[in-house]
Amino acid sequence: MAGSDLFTGTLDILILKALTWGPRHGYAIGRWIRETTEEVLAVQEGALYPALHRLERRGVISEAWGETDTGRQAKYYTLTAAGRAHLRAESARWTAYSRAVTRALAVSSA
Amino acid sequence: MKHTFRLSETRPDARRDVSDEIRFHLDMRTQELIEQGMPADEALREAQRQFGDVAAIEAECRDERRARTRERGRRESWRGLSMDLRYALRSLRTNAGFTLAAVLTLGLGIGAAAAVFTVVDGVLLRPLPYADPSRLAMLWISSAASQGGGELPLSSGLYVEARDAVKDLSTMAAFRSWPFVLSGESNAEPEQIAGARTEPTLFDALGVRPVLGRTFTPDETRPGATRVVLISYSLWQRRFGGARDVLGRMVTLSGERYSIIGVMPRGFGFPRGAELPAGLQFGPRTDVWAPLAFTEEDRRNYGTMNLSAVARLAPGVTRAAAQAEVDALATRVFKEIGFPPGRFGYAIVGLEDQASRTVRRGLLVLLGAVGFVLLIACTNVANLLIARTAAREREFAVRAALGAGRLRIVRQLVTENIVLALGGAVVGVTIAIWGSRVMLSLVPGSLPRAEDVAVDARVVAFTCAVGIVAGVAFGIASALHIARRSVAATLQSGGTRLTGNTRQRFGRRLIVAAEVALSVVLLVGAGLLAGSFARLQHVTPGFDPNDVLTGNVLLPVGARFDPVRDGPAWRQFFDELTARLDALPGVSDAGAVSSLPLSGAVESGGFTIDGRPRPAPGESPTADYSVVSGDYFAAMRIRVLAGRTFDGRDRSDAPGVVIVNRELARRHFPGMSPIGQRLRTGFDFSNGASPREIIGVVDDVKQTALDAQTNPAAYVPETQMAYPFMSIVVRAKCAAGQTTCDPTVILPSVRRELARLDGTLALSNVRPLSSVFADSIARQRFSMAVLGVFATLALLLALVGLYGVIALSVGQRRREIGVRMALGAQPRDVLALVLGEGMRVTLLGVVIGLAGAFALTRVLRSLLFDMSTTDPRFFASAAFLVGAVSLAATYIPARRALGVDATSVLRDA
Repeated sequence: MAGSDLFTGTLDILILKALTWGPRHGYAIGRWIRETTEEVLAVQEGALYPALHRLERRGVISEAWGETDTGRQAKYYTLTAAGRAHLRAESARWTAYSRAVTRALAVSSA
Repeated sequence: MKHTFRLSETRPDARRDVSDEIRFHLDMRTQELIEQGMPADEALREAQRQFGDVAAIEAECRDERRARTRERGRRESWRGLSMDLRYALRSLRTNAGFTLAAVLTLGLGIGAAAAVFTVVDGVLLRPLPYADPSRLAMLWISSAASQGGGELPLSSGLYVEARDAVKDLSTMAAFRSWPFVLSGESNAEPEQIAGARTEPTLFDALGVRPVLGRTFTPDETRPGATRVVLISYSLWQRRFGGARDVLGRMVTLSGERYSIIGVMPRGFGFPRGAELPAGLQFGPRTDVWAPLAFTEEDRRNYGTMNLSAVARLAPGVTRAAAQAEVDALATRVFKEIGFPPGRFGYAIVGLEDQASRTVRRGLLVLLGAVGFVLLIACTNVANLLIARTAAREREFAVRAALGAGRLRIVRQLVTENIVLALGGAVVGVTIAIWGSRVMLSLVPGSLPRAEDVAVDARVVAFTCAVGIVAGVAFGIASALHIARRSVAATLQSGGTRLTGNTRQRFGRRLIVAAEVALSVVLLVGAGLLAGSFARLQHVTPGFDPNDVLTGNVLLPVGARFDPVRDGPAWRQFFDELTARLDALPGVSDAGAVSSLPLSGAVESGGFTIDGRPRPAPGESPTADYSVVSGDYFAAMRIRVLAGRTFDGRDRSDAPGVVIVNRELARRHFPGMSPIGQRLRTGFDFSNGASPREIIGVVDDVKQTALDAQTNPAAYVPETQMAYPFMSIVVRAKCAAGQTTCDPTVILPSVRRELARLDGTLALSNVRPLSSVFADSIARQRFSMAVLGVFATLALLLALVGLYGVIALSVGQRRREIGVRMALGAQPRDVLALVLGEGMRVTLLGVVIGLAGAFALTRVLRSLLFDMSTTDPRFFASAAFLVGAVSLAATYIPARRALGVDATSVLRDA
């Protein structure tokens, strides 16, 4: 939605992946996505939040307010057990999907 | 790490949660851009640009959060419930003994209540299966107390007068019992069928239409019209396999051909015998209806009372108004026919009252009694629960300390108790289904509307509702109980207090005293009924019911009862039959009678004594009369007190003879021998007006019921007053050395003789005379047995309650007892302490119970035979019994108190 030009579901996988290293707040997740995808998948940053809330509602991530290193209040998200399983399944699906698309594109350009 | 996040609360305010989160993001991004060298104001704008439409995103996030909160709340409450349930089951399972006791106690209470409710509902509460049954009424002849009181059947003359004159009764229909023998088509056995002759308006009055065919037309009631019948649904299914083409088929009923014109709906069996006075001899349910015709002669017949009538009150008319109208009519009619005023009248009785009045009192007593049992069961369970809750105080205090809210704990308790109570309800429904069947089997054929009785969805709903209400009440009661105790106090005291809360203990004892009182009341009531029943059983019926086989034989009677035309054939038949039965090898004596004692059959009529002034009309003395055949008196072992019984001399052409009972001799021939005196009997339909000579006096026989007073009775020989409907009585010859034997062994040879004489006849209602005797007191046995069961149950429950309270008290007072023992109390003193506590409770209960019984047993008066409702022997026995078993119930925990080891108790403190 709001400015997202990603393939459907991509943002969700990236969020889950960002949380595999431990709890993070929204801004940190956004920055991780920006940096690791070398801004190729630059997200309209606002789109991150509805996605986070949606994932939290589905129970794949949980939330809690906590303090940052600099003493500010921030909301932290944590991957739940269900989220971990979901991420495994989704990454497998994604890999298969992208491999198929890549193969198809390779065939037609040759 | 994870856990720290878990513990901090999520913010309940969605708006602030979302805006704080987004502000944090924008701040951080701005910061980052500034660090990259961007000017502050430009950095903020850039951060906002990269973020997108802040307001729209915030709105989207808020919606998402609200949906989440709703969803999560729902899930949370379900999870809470399932957790409560799991916890409840676990806690009930770990206390299996308690759970079993509570569930069984509740189940017994609820089950007994539901079983009685089922019967009461079917018999008293459920509307009769006719249209608008509260507007239906029966019409009878009422007789003044001087004439014996009560209601009598109508004569055709009196009925027609009422039918044609009374405006307040809109649709009126007369009917009378008319048993038929349905002759076998193909190979089916001939079968006796309960039939009724009725006016066509009966079906309009009741508002019942046939499911197949039509009812009678007025033409079909004219004498000499085509013979037509309606049949019941069950007869249609049983004899005709439910065939649609049954209409127009011909059937042979009592030797005449009838055409079937209709089938009545399933369940319709009006008139049903148990709903109407027994003397009218209706079958348990009617299976065949034929038209009732009135001849000109019938319209003038005011004396032969053999009709019943049902009517529908005209719209807007009350029963009292209708009664006033028939009273006015009675004054006129009885004057016209020359009866003295004030002796007879018309009486209107609501059909629903009519159906239930004989049993209403007894059933209400049972309902009251079972209410007591339910009350005891509930108080018992309440007591158990309070005790258990007290024992769990520590558990709840710990849970409260760990953060469980009060509401949460109450919910847990209520859930637990509902589970418990529903378990009780399930046991209860099972007991109700089984119990109502057992109760019905105790009153074969004599409980009105017994076929309307069934455990249905309403009864199940009733028991479950009782269960849930009880569960919620118990739960809240226990919760209140623990709410009063502060958490800290409970934890500090370690859950063991010196003597327990005295107020609580007092309350528990009061409850047990109430239970004891209730069971004393029930015991006294049950004792009175049992005493009355024992007396009833020892009433001498005037005949010996053992070793005798009885059965009914009905000879075919045409559409008109015509003894002049058919009499010789009837006479010859029964002479021959009784002679043949008498000659059978296994038979000592055989005879037959028109009204078998205690079977509900009774016919009576007026008579006059020759040589005395003729009484005014309506004032002649009456006697029950029976036509007898063969060696009736010998077969019944009715004692002959004077003169002789009938024999070969009393042929049809010989001078008329009659045998009277002792009561008739006592009333009308005091201080003299009645032998040789002559009676003119009004009921005599074959001997004209010629007088009959009294040739013998026999002992009194209980004709209608064992607890009824004895009426004067007269016996006439079949040879001189032929009658087509007789009950045979066949006394078996017991083998040498045997005092009693089973009379049914001679049944096959009896049947064989009957078939040899006439293959189209049925022998119906075959049973030993002893079971006729037993059935006549079935209602009394029913009340006695059911109340006895309830009283026993109540006593057992009260004992369990007493035991529980004393055992708990001993448990709580262990330290006190230990201290006492350490201070030198002897085992005797400890025993006295505990027994004294139990006995004080029992004594209080017994005193209250005796007072209650004194006040309440008067409702039993009409159910008792020859007994006072305050017979002190029964009060004393009940008190003694309760006292003795209470002592036993207290003794067990008292023994346990003796086992208290003073040193260990004191060391633990």
